[in-house]
Amino acid sequence: MGPGIGAYLVLSVLLFATGTVGVLIRRNPLIVLLSLELMLNAANLALIGFARQHGNSDGHIFALTVMVVAAAEAVVGLGLIVAMSRRKLKLDVDQMKQLRG
Amino acid sequence: MLTTVIVFLPIAAALALWALPLRSSRLTGLIALGVGLAEVGLWSTAAAGYDFDAGGLQHVVTAVWFEDLGVSYKVGMFDFSLWLIGLTVLVTLAAIGYATWAGRERPRVYFGLLLLLLGATIGVFAAQDLLLFYVFFEAMLIPLYVLIGVWGGRNRARAAITFLIYTMLGSLLMLVAIVAYGLTEGTFDLTQTGISSSEWIFLGFIVAFAIKAPLWPFHGWLPAAYREAPPEIAALLSGVISKTATYAILRIVIPSFPEPLADFQDPILALAAVGLVYAALLAFRQPDFRGVLAYSSLGQMSLIFVGLLALNDSGLSGANLQMINHGLVSAALFLLAGAVEYRTGTGEFRQLGGMARGRPVLATMLIVTGVIALAVPGSGVFAAEFLVLNGVFTVGWGWAVVGVVAIVLAAAYMLRAISATLHREVGPAVHESSCDLRPAEVGVLAPLIAALLLLSFYPAGVSDHSFKGEPAETVIVSRLEP
Amino acid sequence: MIASAWIALFAPAVGVALIALARDAISRQQAGIIAAGSTFVSFTASLSTFAIMLGDDPEERSHFSTLYTWLSAGSLEIGLQILVDPLAVFMMLVVSGVGFLILTYAIGYMHGDDEGRRYHAYKALFVFSMLLLVQAGNLLILLVGWGMVGLSSYLLINYWHQRSSAVAAGKKAFIVNAFGDAAFVISIFLLAQQLGALDFLTVFGTALGSIKLSSTVAVVIALGLLGGAVAKSAQVPLHTWLPDAMEGPTPVSALIHAATMVTAGVYLIVRTHVLFELAPAVLDTAALLGGVTILIAGAVALVQTDIKRVIAYSTMSQIGYMFAAVGLGAFAAGMFHLMTHAFFKALLFMAAGTVIHALANEQDIRKMRGLARELPWTYRAFLIGTLALAAIPPFAGFFSKDVILAHALAEGLIGPILWAIGLVGALLTALYAFRLLFIVFTAEPSQIARRHLHRERFEGPLSMMLPIGALVALTAVAGFIQVPGGWHAVDTWLEPVAASLQKPSAWMEIASPVAALALAALGTVLAWRFWGRESDVPAKARSAYPRAAGTLEQKFYFDEAYDAVLARPTQRLAVFLKRSIEEPLILSSLGEIAGSVRELGQRFSRLQTGLLRSYALALAAGLALIAAVFIAVR
Repeated sequence: MGPGIGAYLVLSVLLFATGTVGVLIRRNPLIVLLSLELMLNAANLALIGFARQHGNSDGHIFALTVMVVAAAEAVVGLGLIVAMSRRKLKLDVDQMKQLRG
Repeated sequence: MLTTVIVFLPIAAALALWALPLRSSRLTGLIALGVGLAEVGLWSTAAAGYDFDAGGLQHVVTAVWFEDLGVSYKVGMFDFSLWLIGLTVLVTLAAIGYATWAGRERPRVYFGLLLLLLGATIGVFAAQDLLLFYVFFEAMLIPLYVLIGVWGGRNRARAAITFLIYTMLGSLLMLVAIVAYGLTEGTFDLTQTGISSSEWIFLGFIVAFAIKAPLWPFHGWLPAAYREAPPEIAALLSGVISKTATYAILRIVIPSFPEPLADFQDPILALAAVGLVYAALLAFRQPDFRGVLAYSSLGQMSLIFVGLLALNDSGLSGANLQMINHGLVSAALFLLAGAVEYRTGTGEFRQLGGMARGRPVLATMLIVTGVIALAVPGSGVFAAEFLVLNGVFTVGWGWAVVGVVAIVLAAAYMLRAISATLHREVGPAVHESSCDLRPAEVGVLAPLIAALLLLSFYPAGVSDHSFKGEPAETVIVSRLEP
Repeated sequence: MIASAWIALFAPAVGVALIALARDAISRQQAGIIAAGSTFVSFTASLSTFAIMLGDDPEERSHFSTLYTWLSAGSLEIGLQILVDPLAVFMMLVVSGVGFLILTYAIGYMHGDDEGRRYHAYKALFVFSMLLLVQAGNLLILLVGWGMVGLSSYLLINYWHQRSSAVAAGKKAFIVNAFGDAAFVISIFLLAQQLGALDFLTVFGTALGSIKLSSTVAVVIALGLLGGAVAKSAQVPLHTWLPDAMEGPTPVSALIHAATMVTAGVYLIVRTHVLFELAPAVLDTAALLGGVTILIAGAVALVQTDIKRVIAYSTMSQIGYMFAAVGLGAFAAGMFHLMTHAFFKALLFMAAGTVIHALANEQDIRKMRGLARELPWTYRAFLIGTLALAAIPPFAGFFSKDVILAHALAEGLIGPILWAIGLVGALLTALYAFRLLFIVFTAEPSQIARRHLHRERFEGPLSMMLPIGALVALTAVAGFIQVPGGWHAVDTWLEPVAASLQKPSAWMEIASPVAALALAALGTVLAWRFWGRESDVPAKARSAYPRAAGTLEQKFYFDEAYDAVLARPTQRLAVFLKRSIEEPLILSSLGEIAGSVRELGQRFSRLQTGLLRSYALALAAGLALIAAVFIAVR
């Protein structure tokens, strides 16, 4: 037996909080994307920890799904960032607020 | 089977018109005209096959639709709905004829929509299942919206959207009411549903019909729609489509909601009475022909409401007769207004005048229809209004007195419209060269006017052959038998 | 007999249909011949109905006949039903007889009018409607005829529809009459509600017997009928349309606005006298309205300057006599005067028509003078008409008017008042009638007369002169069918249908004519003094009493009063409704709802900053909130 479920969850919460703060305060889209990945993986860690706790594979399946979605999201997000830099736009999410009502 | 054919032939024809790659606009019009004639033929067959002595629901077609919800496809005809279907086919035929003569852009779309409207309207009059009724009731809206919004006058977009929003508001309320009513009854079959005492369901229905008819003060959509629509669509709208609402009150509301109706009798009568006088006064202030007709239509629908809400033989028979009469009168008048506008380019009274000289056919037709419209004694309209007011007189003499005064005012505005168009000095928009009615227009109008004259000579033809030849009260108020 | 009555009814309708269907295939003159011919068929059929009825026992002269059920609802069933009885036959003879003469006259009069076919069709339509009115076997069919005569009257008044005065006059006639019809129809509702049927047999039978009408109901019913009668017969206060109706062609005035339609009110009261007798106060009201009309119309006629309007006011005044008669319960006397009046008034109008025709549509009597020499035959006809109107023996008006006065004397309460009014009326009648005659025909010809008349002495085609001749003959002899103190043919004939409520004694039958004749003679002499030769009396009177003269010239301000009390307030109400309710509240309500929704949306849209961070923060806050709620709930 390794560490108990508590240790996994503490790590997961720390990771998630780090990611959240990163998304909220950073302006570079690349870093925002990285922080987002961090949050997703924090969730994955919690899922896998619970799966281990309960001894069934539901959590694994969710984690795998989240990974696939995260990969897809990263592709789109990175693609957008590449597009932005190609157009020589400033890489700053605060500059992109055309959707303001 | 006959009822299904009469409902779906025009719808199928509409689909065929849209699918076929027809180039010739004339051919398109002729096809539509052919379908219209076929419908008249079918209706005549239905009328000939209807046993007026037995009465009740005949020519029934039933099929299962959603079994577990109690929804079925059920169509059929009562004697009074038979007359309304007759009105629909006749007026639509006239409208198709007029449109063919006047020529409309994108004829395939136009005539397709017109035929779709025809099918849906007949469907409303024939449906014996509430959900089916709703489907047809809403199906009328689509072609009307497009017909007004695309082929209408200068402010057509606004007119169409106002019409749509008003009517949608009503129909959504009605949908809620239908669902609530059908689920509590366990079936949507109108011949099997029982009596409901729910005021909310009742209000859901009555508001929808009060907007569609319209009843004062729900007529905000009416002036614009009647002014901006092409003349033949205005004719259909005021002549036929408005009757679906009063028909529905006769067919659905009165038999199913006797208690709430009795509670709301006075308020609705009051609205109708206000509408009568209000419409007459406003019609008097309208600067144009169609404005007068629009408000006159509001007044006439109020009168039909008065008759329906009298809830007795005389009132119901009168309302029923008046539906047919007003359908023919206002259709003919809108087409005549169209004919005047076609010649002069305007319906403004200031620009018109003196059209009688040298245009005897136009003058004769306008005077005959106008005189019937203002209920000169001896006309079918007079017979109907007499029954309506005689019926409501026993409910309260005050209603009848208001009605009589409103009819006198109606005479005043109708004479004003007639003489401002036909008489006095020749108006600036009237040119020497603008001709009398052409044979095609005469052909379109003659059947309507002939039907009106027939109804004047023999109003009992309708009043005696509705409601099984029995007193309307016993047939309608105390449940419609299957 | 019933068959001939139906033929009499429908012959003119067939005429209308023929003219309408033939359109351009017949000439205008042929259309006129069809119209007059169909009326002649009607007249012959009426005569044969009359002849057959003469053979019947007096008590068995009422016959109902129903063609088919016209309208039905519940227990109410109304057939296209006629009632042929002495009263109906009496009216049929007058209507079709005078109608035939006037339609014949119209062929010549309307010669050269390019819409003549329409005219003749309207005329035949009128005769049909009038016959329907007098033959109707139930109140609704009577109302149908009643409304249709109003319609034909409207169509004929604005026959010359380019003239806006004619159009306005037509509308006015129609609408004033519509108010009368409204009153009429309300009493029909009440009858239907109380008695459950509308045919005369049931109505009169049950009203008298099985069902007791309360006195209020009886009064309302009678008042409604009286309202209809007053409007149709142009009695004060609903008389204002008749003078304006003179805008129509002269034969129209003769037929509709003198001989037949305007007397329909009298007929209605006689026809429904059973109902009126249940409400004696209403009957008295009718008599008094008649009395007031005699005076007002007679006085206004004194100052009118249009030849037709003078005769129109005289018509109102004479119908006032008939109303007084039937209001007093002297039904036969009223009907007798109705008949003689139809003859001599039609004669006067037709003679006036000849004058107008000869002067190229000039109607102002101030421009006419001395026409006697140029139009000798017209002059003689006009003279005989005037004598009859002024009730100078032996002409028809003398006999009929004096029967009415005798009956007034026999009635207790209001009789003497009406008798006095009738005598004053006799003086006024003689004054205005001879004023017209003297102004138009005596003295030296005026300019306009000389301009139009010196070339030829052609007074009119045969089709115009023959009917005038026939009416002259009738005016001269018709009075003798009922001679005071002698025989009472009209009374006897109408006895089974409408027996008079009182019987004047012999001295009343002698005293009244003597007094009336004296006043008529006085009126004639005065008229000669004032207008027969050069005299400054009328001018002096005018300058001495400008107020009175103004009131007369403005016809007692009835038009102005209606305008101020009814027409303008209604228009103001309409404007108010349009400006203050329809436009701001109803028409723009949808637009306002849409506007407020849009505004609300705009307010909410400020939450959309477009900043990614704020969205993420909102997400995180929401998540935190949910988590907190979960923890708190647990």
